[in-house]
Amino acid sequence: MGGAHVASGRESLGPIGRRADGGMKRKLALLLVLAIALAALPFVGLPQSWESILYLVFHWIALATSWNLLSGYAGYFSFGHGAFFGIGMYTTAVLTTRFDMPFAWTLPLAALAAALFGSALGAVAFRVRSVRGEVFALLTLAATFVLATVILNTPIDGGPGVYLNAVAVPTLARTASGSFYLLALGAAALALVVAVVVFHSRFGIGLFAIRDDEDVAEVMGVPTYRYKLVALALSSGIAGLVGGVQALFVAYVTTADTFGIALPLTVVLMAVLGGTRHWAGPAVGAIAITALLLGFTSADNAIAGRVVLGLVLIGVILFLPDGLLGGWMKRGARVRRLEGDAAARAVGADEIAAAAASPALREPSNPDAPVLLRTRKLAKSFDGVRALDGVDVEIRRGEILGLLGPNGSGKSTFINVVSGHYLASGGQVEFDGRPLARLAAHRVARSGIARTYQIPRPFAHLTVLENVALSAMFGAGSLGRRQAEAEAWEWLRFTGLASRAGSLPDSLNLHQRKFLEFARALAARPQLLMLDEVLSGLTPSEIDAAVALIERIRAGGTTIVFVEHVMRAVAALCDRVLIFDRGELLASGSFAEVMARPEVVRAYLGQEDEGASPAGAVEPEAVHAA
Amino acid sequence: MPFQRRSFLSALAALGLPALPVAGAHAQAAAAPTGTPVRIGGSLALTGPLAPTATIHKLVGDMYVESLNQRGGLLGRPVEWVLKDDQSKPELTRTLYEQLVTGDKVDLLIGPYATGAILSAMGVAQRYNKTLVHHTFGIPSLAKYEQQFPAWSMGPEPQVTVPNMVLDALAASSKPPKTIAVLTSKFPSVQFMSYGAREVAKKRGLQEVLFLEWDIGNRDFGPIAGRVKEANPDFIWNGVLGLEGNQLLDAMKKIDYQPRQHFYMYPAPGPMLKAPEAANALTVTIFEDQPPFTSTPIAAAFAKSFNERATQANLPDTHAETQAAASFAAWQIIEAAVIATRSLDDKKIADWIKANQVDTIEGKLRFNEKGNFGADLSKLKQVQNGRWVVVWPAEFSNGAKLSV
Amino acid sequence: MTLPSAGLLAQAVVGGIFTGAVYGLLGLGLSLSWGLLRQINLAQFGLAFASAYLAYELQQHGIDALFALVLLPPVFFVIGAALQWVVERFRVTPFNSLLVSFGITIILEALIQWIWTADYRRLETPYGDLKLKLAGVYLPLPEMITLAISAALAAAVWLVMRRSDIGRAIRAAAEDAPIAIAFGIHQKALALGLAGLNAALAAIAGVCIALTYTLAPSQIFAWVGVVFAVVMLGGLGRPWGPLIAGCAIGVVEALTMAIAAPAWAPLVSFSLLLLLLLCRPGRA
Repeated sequence: MGGAHVASGRESLGPIGRRADGGMKRKLALLLVLAIALAALPFVGLPQSWESILYLVFHWIALATSWNLLSGYAGYFSFGHGAFFGIGMYTTAVLTTRFDMPFAWTLPLAALAAALFGSALGAVAFRVRSVRGEVFALLTLAATFVLATVILNTPIDGGPGVYLNAVAVPTLARTASGSFYLLALGAAALALVVAVVVFHSRFGIGLFAIRDDEDVAEVMGVPTYRYKLVALALSSGIAGLVGGVQALFVAYVTTADTFGIALPLTVVLMAVLGGTRHWAGPAVGAIAITALLLGFTSADNAIAGRVVLGLVLIGVILFLPDGLLGGWMKRGARVRRLEGDAAARAVGADEIAAAAASPALREPSNPDAPVLLRTRKLAKSFDGVRALDGVDVEIRRGEILGLLGPNGSGKSTFINVVSGHYLASGGQVEFDGRPLARLAAHRVARSGIARTYQIPRPFAHLTVLENVALSAMFGAGSLGRRQAEAEAWEWLRFTGLASRAGSLPDSLNLHQRKFLEFARALAARPQLLMLDEVLSGLTPSEIDAAVALIERIRAGGTTIVFVEHVMRAVAALCDRVLIFDRGELLASGSFAEVMARPEVVRAYLGQEDEGASPAGAVEPEAVHAA
Repeated sequence: MPFQRRSFLSALAALGLPALPVAGAHAQAAAAPTGTPVRIGGSLALTGPLAPTATIHKLVGDMYVESLNQRGGLLGRPVEWVLKDDQSKPELTRTLYEQLVTGDKVDLLIGPYATGAILSAMGVAQRYNKTLVHHTFGIPSLAKYEQQFPAWSMGPEPQVTVPNMVLDALAASSKPPKTIAVLTSKFPSVQFMSYGAREVAKKRGLQEVLFLEWDIGNRDFGPIAGRVKEANPDFIWNGVLGLEGNQLLDAMKKIDYQPRQHFYMYPAPGPMLKAPEAANALTVTIFEDQPPFTSTPIAAAFAKSFNERATQANLPDTHAETQAAASFAAWQIIEAAVIATRSLDDKKIADWIKANQVDTIEGKLRFNEKGNFGADLSKLKQVQNGRWVVVWPAEFSNGAKLSV
Repeated sequence: MTLPSAGLLAQAVVGGIFTGAVYGLLGLGLSLSWGLLRQINLAQFGLAFASAYLAYELQQHGIDALFALVLLPPVFFVIGAALQWVVERFRVTPFNSLLVSFGITIILEALIQWIWTADYRRLETPYGDLKLKLAGVYLPLPEMITLAISAALAAAVWLVMRRSDIGRAIRAAAEDAPIAIAFGIHQKALALGLAGLNAALAAIAGVCIALTYTLAPSQIFAWVGVVFAVVMLGGLGRPWGPLIAGCAIGVVEALTMAIAAPAWAPLVSFSLLLLLLLCRPGRA
């Protein structure tokens, strides 16, 4: 989706410039001050006619911001916000009229009811892997229709609507409208505070990672199911709260007005208009669109007003595709990035040389080292094609194990299954004595397994630093935000990428992106690192640098599994080598002895050819690091 | 009474006729109004799903205010209608009425279109002790504010009085029905009427052979029509709003079923006339563009003026009927109250309306029963030969009979 | 809950299919747009109703609606291609396209209301009441025309997509535009053509709607919910998807209305939809 943005120079924005500390506190302080100032207005002479207008503005800010928690942050666009809002409305309506509960008490219940419904929906929907993108949108839309029909046909409403005129409005201000103003202000403030806190938290960066690439996020250790569920619960709960307040504001609740398509469509538009990747985007969009709608209520130009609204929407999106806030942020971010790069470059230049220069101390691995990973009859089929057909593998601590074989032999599939990217069709995996095969991928990552992707898959809207920090946060190390960033700097220096810390991945070249994959994998502090053709596409000198890096990694105690086609690197690095062929393990042993076997030659070259071996073409000499 | 004479002369003036000398009175020329305008504020659904009917109310309002200013305005001052578009959204209605009262600081209020919006406006009026005269409130049991007054005089219990009227008319015809089917949409203002109809029918000994409810956004009326055809009732009570009546008739026509006797609650009047399958369809009305409704000069002037303006505005249906009349009557109530109390004081106006009867094109309206409703002035009209013909009660039917 | 007769059930199924045909027509352009151009094009609804009102207007001047079926699509093709050209210049993402097309639809709705007022308009044709009776089931002519057109268009689009070079080119461009361009596919021209086609499809849908339904400007948004559901259920970019999914939803709702309380109809259809979505093994 949206492939047009690749390397276009108009980089889409991510939460650039977020720092775990001062950024959030400053924003919260600002929000608090603003909220207090606004709350004081009704008492210091705000014209009464403004109370209801601002009520509407706060109401939409709360709705759009809460929608964005799941749909903007995690990318799961939902058309179901009307359902959560409606549950809130009806909870308050029914409790106040039929059970005589004081209005204020119904509000938390309204939020709770909506959150429960949202969580139930999410609990089921998020379990199904195929429910992504538009399928999720459809699901939420369908849920809204179902809910509306149930409410319309049961004693909850039954048709006549619920009339709340006898319910007392809490006297928070001098007028009823003033009280609603304050209630809505409270809801909007709550929504914004939640949005800011999440934005700056570990939870938030996990959500943004889910938006960019959910599968990779899961493999990096982000507990995607749980995070999406929490985001949905927060989102729906706040919507329910807003609904509860609205029930008394309109005082006459009917299904037709509550569950139409207008609300879900409007919150999407407001958030997109303002910018979905920023915590304040939806609020900006809400203010803009509400202002437009209210600006054209004079009878004389009712129709003209609609035309202007349409033109404004079109204009903003065409010229500011990241929304109002996105466009404004771009300028700021570019300045910050240049400054950051310049500062880091001074640091980084030496690092690359150092990394390249240090000699690799190659210690042969101990054949009696304990087994770290063991697979038994591991199998994986795709629609009948057996990519892995009963593979038994043992990986010992501290070794560098090569996985070789012709294309399609199952090497990458092996890595994908062990890391949890795919679910195994059969067999077992044991890691550090514990079974792994049916675990969710994020738990696999937590246990201490990390992998790189053959075609780099960084999170496109997170900076290089954030990409690596995420791994440190969710990998085996499970570090806090601040520590993770410090750790990330370390690994960026190690891989020579420190000078690009503030850049977005699509501004890196292939070599740098591959090293970003390294840094990401290492930041997770894995016990087992699986490298999937990490050298493909690199120039010879880049390959030398990479090999040196791998040696240093192993020297640090990490066990490495290494899928590769570049034979001289394999020969230089691997203690042992496994040959895969058509999903099965063909041979195992040292590089030289395995390459001499005729069946291996046949597998590679496809014919009987005595004497000729792939190994013959390569001299198993030491690879120069410089 | 001076009041009536003045209205008579004003009507003449509106018709473009010179004021004729009347014995014992001197002709009052309509003096141009002067001074700060009297501002009457309200909203209407000028855009959104409710717009089709709200257009009629805007037209009538414009018409009335213009004529009012020609006749000398209110209390000698020009009248200005401060109108806003609530986009068919009740929460916007509330906000706009608050703006009208606290921001624009209008002198008087007039109601918006349809029950949901009126409830919102009523809440605002209540909070600021303003009097609200409205024209299209469909659920009398929800009218709980003392200073609100309905111009559409359906009485406090229309769910009893209207079905009784309809069944009275049918019982007096040559083919009184024995079986009844009740079909209704779940829209609040029609649903309670349909439930009332079921009760009344049961009390009167009709056998209910079918009862169906549908959701407001329903598009496919085929299965419902099929079930009606199988049940084959003598009389169908259709609790419909807007186009639903036509959609039902369409669906029945497609399966070759012509209902024998059929009644529709709030159909869109124009489309009903144009469809041949709607022959003999019954509905309620409080005003029609025909005698005896148009016997008074004001009513005749109103009907003519509406016709002209509706044609000019390119509306497909140019005859004044219930909606337009209710709107006109609302303005009449406001004018009468202001003139009688010689003030713009909401409380005085409310007290006066409550204690008096107001002469409107619907007839004499009173407001002394539950919810400030009065008599049920509904009549029954029927589609006959492509025209709406009032058939009940006899005093208004102008000789026409209910066709079976 | 009374047991209905076989005739009633059969009629309900047929009626549901007719309703589904309209969903299919409205949804076809939307589905192709979403699946192949990565644009969620709400403007389909606005364009369809614009076409419906134009067909009505032509009828008022004596030109039958069936001629409108021939006259309007080419005009709308140009409009659609022009809109696409503007959008392409700005490289709009899928959910941004929702916003832009919503803006276009609002403008179209306002224009329609300005010209034809908010009041109801009904297109009357001399043949609008004709119907066939087959084995006790009634088949009205306007609905049959709509179903025939809907099926024919789905089939035509399917054939072009599967069997022709243009179709293959379009599908390739939809999957991976840069590579397709590298292979010599004129992705821009194809996108313009496809957008034009979608607008033409909307025009045809509009004429069919004018034939069977009464028009009001606010009706535009009344269809959005269910057609979105139909499009997503049928699978984006699949020519037969909206028609089949539309008929499924139409039939399920019609049967519910024939057997049980009609107000429950949306519950049954959308609950089934939910179940289907959750039980799918994976998207093809």
